[in-house]
Amino acid sequence: MTHDAISCKRLILEYLVDYEDGAMPEEVRRDLEWHLEHCPPCLVFLKEYRATGRTLRMLKPKDVPKNLAEAVWGFVIARCRKEE
Amino acid sequence: MAAHEDQNASDLELVRRIKRSDEQGFREMVDRYHARVYSLAYGVLRNSEDAEEATQDAFLTLYRKIGTFDESKKFFSWFYRVALNAAYSRARRRKPITTISLEDYVPRYRDDGHASPEFAAFVDGAEDEAIARDLAEHAAEFMDELPPPYRDAIWMVDVEEMKPADVADVLEISLAALKSRLHRARLFVRQRLLEVAAAPPAGGGERRVAP
Repeated sequence: MTHDAISCKRLILEYLVDYEDGAMPEEVRRDLEWHLEHCPPCLVFLKEYRATGRTLRMLKPKDVPKNLAEAVWGFVIARCRKEE
Repeated sequence: MAAHEDQNASDLELVRRIKRSDEQGFREMVDRYHARVYSLAYGVLRNSEDAEEATQDAFLTLYRKIGTFDESKKFFSWFYRVALNAAYSRARRRKPITTISLEDYVPRYRDDGHASPEFAAFVDGAEDEAIARDLAEHAAEFMDELPPPYRDAIWMVDVEEMKPADVADVLEISLAALKSRLHRARLFVRQRLLEVAAAPPAGGGERRVAP
């Protein structure tokens, strides 16, 4: 796969997710990297795609509410004992 | 034994104790999973009070329905589905779920297969911490616009950093289908972030992201 054989559209729509997941045969990965090296817009796209991922990782809640485990356990056990 | 199988074997021990109504076994299960369930529910509800209540609902279902769990399957996949259902059940009570068309957010291509030169350098912004936090706030809103199957995929893989194969198992879809949802969702969020980065700042002044 060379720059001639692979269009940017195929790279982005068909291959990028596997490339980022590391789930790509070595030969295809090498060809993709060759393409990226020679295609500045695709390289920018890859950076944006990765920056999107970095941004999303920031959404993970940093703190679990204090005493949540205790509250959950107490709630469930109280409900189920009452039903018995 | 792989760490993954180890975890499942240890989950199954707790499952069997809970099936015998062992309250201490249930307590250990709560300790093990409450943070992950809360985080998953938070992804759907984006509100800490609702996420706490969905977490309680999920564990109540776990305790009541553990008898229906098939022990030949992975426990966490079953329980994550329970947790997602609990979260969506709360979400439906709160507001209607609105969705957008993801087709509008696939990059445009010219006839020669190259993308249109629309690329803004929001990448530079995402490397500055203050701007990255601002973009993350926007990204949280954009997640709400995604159809739930896409939001679940991107939340579990990109936010929770779960393995795609595990997420496919939770959602009961093929790995290929999961990756397709994930990619579409990422393209949507990317495009929306680019729009934010390209928009003039409120109240005028300098553009906050380098051109």
